[in-house]
Parts: sequence; C-alpha cells; structure tokens
Amino acid sequence: MKALVVIAHPCDDSFNHAAAARAVEGLTAAGHHVDTIDLYAEGYRAAMSYEERMAYESGDPILDPQVEEHVAQLQAAQILVFVYPTWWSSMPAILKGWLERTMVPGVGFRFDEKSGKVKPGLKHVKRIVGISTYGSPRPAVWLVNDNGRRTLMRTLRMSSGLRTRTEWFGLYGMDTATAADRTAFLARIEQRMAGV
Amino acid sequence: MRVLAIYCHPNPESLVAAARDRALRGLRSAGHEVRFTDLYADGFDPAMTADERRTHKEPGVAPELQGYADDLAWAEALVLIYPTWMSGQPAMLKGWIDRVWVAGVAWEMHEGDRTPTPKLRDLRRLVVVTTHGSSKLINSLQGESGKRTVTRSIRAMCSRRARTTWCALYGVDTCDEGDRTEFLDRVESTLAKL
Repeated sequence: MKALVVIAHPCDDSFNHAAAARAVEGLTAAGHHVDTIDLYAEGYRAAMSYEERMAYESGDPILDPQVEEHVAQLQAAQILVFVYPTWWSSMPAILKGWLERTMVPGVGFRFDEKSGKVKPGLKHVKRIVGISTYGSPRPAVWLVNDNGRRTLMRTLRMSSGLRTRTEWFGLYGMDTATAADRTAFLARIEQRMAGV
Repeated sequence: MRVLAIYCHPNPESLVAAARDRALRGLRSAGHEVRFTDLYADGFDPAMTADERRTHKEPGVAPELQGYADDLAWAEALVLIYPTWMSGQPAMLKGWIDRVWVAGVAWEMHEGDRTPTPKLRDLRRLVVVTTHGSSKLINSLQGESGKRTVTRSIRAMCSRRARTTWCALYGVDTCDEGDRTEFLDRVESTLAKL
C-alpha cells in the first residue's frame, strides 16, 4: 500500500521527527511505499487565504500548486500518518491549516446534488494513524479532551468512513518522560507500523 | 469591562464578518472598553517558529507579538469570533493561541513546578461567536474539539470562576435567511448583556 506521513513540528531535530522517521522505517519494512510531507521544512502556509476561501465552493477550490501536490499524494495513499506535538489540547496551527486547505470539496468530501447530502471523499483511506507528544500527563489530557485526536479520529474519519481503522500513539507527560520512556515509545511505533 | 475581541475570517463579506459588527455594536452599547484584533487584516503568521519552540519555557512572546500579549494581559473578557472549520478554530486563530498564550503571558512555571501556574487571573469571561457548516448532531458526533479547546484548555489559564458563553449558528450550509438574522440578533444581545 501507499502511506502518507504528515509531520508538523518546527524543529527538525525534534522528538516528533524521530517518531516520524521510525514510523517510516516500520512502514517501509512492511513493504509499503511511503511519502512524507514535513510542513515546516516545506515552508507550508498555514492559513487559508481570501482567494482560497472565495474559491472554496467553486468547482476549482485548489489554487496553490503545493496544495495540489499534497492532494495528489493524499489521493494515492491508503494509510495516513500524522505526527505532531499537542499544544492547547489540539494540533499546531500549521497542521490544522493543512487539513483546512487540503480537505476541500472534491477531496475530503463532495456535495451530492441529488440527495443534498455530504459524501465522503477519502474512501480509499484504510487506516489513519496519529502520533503525538503531550506536555501534560494522561489524566490531564483526558480532562480537557484530546481535541487534536478527535479532529483526526472523528472529523477526518467522517471523510473516509467507519471501516477505516484508526490507531493512536501518545507520549504523555513529555516533560517528565525518561530516556527509557522515549526509547520504548519509538520502538513501539516502529514495531506496530512494521505490522501494518 | 475591558474586552478583547479577536476576529478571524478571510472574507470581509462573510456571515462571520457581520457577526463581528453586531458583536462590537453590542459591546459598545453596553459601555465596555474594547480592543479589537483582525488577524487576517494584520497578516498574522500562525505558525510558531523553531526559535519560539526552542525557548518556549522562557517567559515572553516573540518581539513582533508584544502588542498581542499586552492586549491579552489587559483583558477581563475575551471574545473570539470565527468560523468553525474541521471541528475547531481556523489555523489562523489556533496560531494566535499557540504563539501568544505562552510562558510569561498566559502561564508561568516556577522552579520545581510540574504544572503551569495560570497567569490570566483577571480574565473572567470567555465568549465564542462561531458558525458551523454542519448540524449540531454532526458536531456532537465529531466531539466539538474547538469548543473544548476554549472551555477547558485555554480557560484553565483564566480566572478560576471564568464563565464561558457559546453563541453559535449550526447548519450554516442549509439554514435560511431567518436563521441568520436570528443568529446576528442573538450575537448582539449576548454581548450587550456581557
């Protein structure tokens, strides 16, 4: 299968980058073809522009060649992997913007003229995987709600369907995690991805 | 009250822009002192930089964001006006939270602390004015991420008794003119009673 790994951390030496690299290793070992989008490294523009908003409901909502390329990668993929640090219980702005600018009508979903209903556009996606680091310990994350996880596992999944399998890897209490915790987390990601 | 209103929508002709006008009218009619920020008009860059991330435990915002930090520290009430996209705040507004609600502004960590100490103790009202393309039911199924980010996550840095008010229009994609009018009236009256 084809996998697309999207990573959103500003520092290229981050633990998130290490986690993404291990996911890629695992997926590659399992024989999948992996594409990677490093949003910060690509200089991705997070905010939907005025022109994009105006084009959103037209038949041609994609104006930026970079978004067009990402859409092609997305549409070729059966496995989606998102890697990001959780900030304010959700994803960094740059990843939120990627969802907003990529999941436009015709990609994430389409309006069915006959029924007037919204139809999913990502039925080719068989699996959505999330990998995130949290400053807070797990109970604190639970109390405020893991809003980034919900956005990917519920909102995005409405575009792929209930048959899409989901998997979540969270390293909680990052500030107090030991070197052994980190190593075990990375090893678990690689091992699980090698089994996909 | 000292009210900071943050507005986020790329289209000045949108329903959210109309809601902004009515919100400001309501606030002013009640005699509040209002500071207003239009993130798109400011050309705000929502992506936290590598430098900011590397120094995120040291107090203070990036120098070019000092004005935003001063406004937040000044406010007793915060009004967020935005469209809900993919269940939450648009990237532009999420980035304002990521980059402005930092150490020394929204929270502080003392030597030996394991959890941050809230710093926005004067902030006692949080109001959200938002529009949702889909219905209330769909939003519930999706888990209302944007709502929880405000009412739980950022609220934790505000006054212990901070009240939150949710002023939303659901199903914008299918609603009629009457629903929109009712929403705009509700926005103005909610903020006039703040």
